[in-house]
Amino acid sequence: MTLKGGATSACAACKYQRRKCIPECLLAPYFPADQTKVFQNAHKLFGVSNIVKILKSLDPSQHAEAMRSIKYQANVRDRFPVYGCLGVIRHLYYQIQLLEEEFHAVLTQLEMYRQHHHQQQQQQQISSMADDVISQLELGMAPPTNALPLFNQMTQPYAMQNSYSSYMDSPKDSVENNSLWIQHLFLDTNNHTTSNNDSPIAIQSQLLLPNSEPLADAQDYDEIHPFFDSIDDRQSYIESKDAYDSTSSEESLKDATESMVENVADNELKSAAACFSLTSVN
Amino acid sequence: MASSSYSNPPCAACKCLRRKCLPDCIFAPYFPPEEPQKFINVHKIFGASNVSKLLNDVAPHQREDAVNSLAYEAEARVKDPVYGCVGAISVLQRQVMRLQKELDATNADIVRYAYNEMPQPPPAAASHYGRRSTAGHAGSFDQNSGFCYPSQWNNNDPSGDNESGSL
Repeated sequence: MTLKGGATSACAACKYQRRKCIPECLLAPYFPADQTKVFQNAHKLFGVSNIVKILKSLDPSQHAEAMRSIKYQANVRDRFPVYGCLGVIRHLYYQIQLLEEEFHAVLTQLEMYRQHHHQQQQQQQISSMADDVISQLELGMAPPTNALPLFNQMTQPYAMQNSYSSYMDSPKDSVENNSLWIQHLFLDTNNHTTSNNDSPIAIQSQLLLPNSEPLADAQDYDEIHPFFDSIDDRQSYIESKDAYDSTSSEESLKDATESMVENVADNELKSAAACFSLTSVN
Repeated sequence: MASSSYSNPPCAACKCLRRKCLPDCIFAPYFPPEEPQKFINVHKIFGASNVSKLLNDVAPHQREDAVNSLAYEAEARVKDPVYGCVGAISVLQRQVMRLQKELDATNADIVRYAYNEMPQPPPAAASHYGRRSTAGHAGSFDQNSGFCYPSQWNNNDPSGDNESGSL
């Protein structure tokens, strides 16, 4: 019922109930006169008295949010008379499950790509280093004629140096890759999710574990490589390690190789060359 | 009015409403006397008459599902009078958006690896959210199935809803 005297028209609730819309009408701010369908949905599900009861049980500062949720719930019930908001919730759970499965599969695929890329880089670096060592030998180190087969045969005693070269590679790559995973982990921790074994946080924490092993082993390199103590290579190693951290891995390895070659004796040079000619792929 | 010893015990609805539970009581199949709180919540939030009308508008084979969904919504509203079950929808929608963005970012990394490029770690986590993603579009989840769920609850629209029923 519209008011006389040019006053504002009744809200949709009072219009529906055919009563005078007083200024203190609780529902007027939330059911404007032009939204009759919204009010009808809310009235059909809750009823005016129940809505007013809910509003009166709340602080006035919460009325707006409460009415927003009531209208949303009523509209959803109007669209889906059987399941209402429960249907929406179930659908969202299903979406989350699908997304998590897809995310897990994509992470696995990304890990495969990363490992493949890493192996390719390692092989390229080792082959370039081997070329450098061989060229150094050819420049006047007077190696034996069967030098190359010797390099290939010297595998077992120098497994530690062999693994050492991979450790030289792994910290930098692991740091880069860990930063990638940590980014995802950071994104997860920013938005807390319910605990779930399949949650992205669980998946990524598991993925972090394989990357941590090379880092831990690289820290023990001083203890397991007395070879480098004898040749006083620690300083050059430390310099080369800094180089790995700052420059491209390929160039820094090349520089490190050259510095190491200059400081070693002949037979130790062969051992080092054998080390770099062998590929240790985990 | 003496109750016949052969009549069924009154359903939770009729017990709560203190009336005789007739054989054709619409509530009886869905509100057993062993679950009184279920009807109490539904009656408190929606009202028995509204529930009765809603059940009459629904096919008989769907009434049980309708009652269960109403009971769920009523219980949620009793526990959280401000948001009710819509609070759960909000949380889940945000989770879906976040997962979609992470998926987009990871797919982008795979594309880079496929083209033999090393993915550069972004300077901040926010850069991931700057990527183009398919998330966040209202009602976009089920476009293929043709069943479009309501738009994002998280869209702040303090002015209210339009008559189409979406936020």
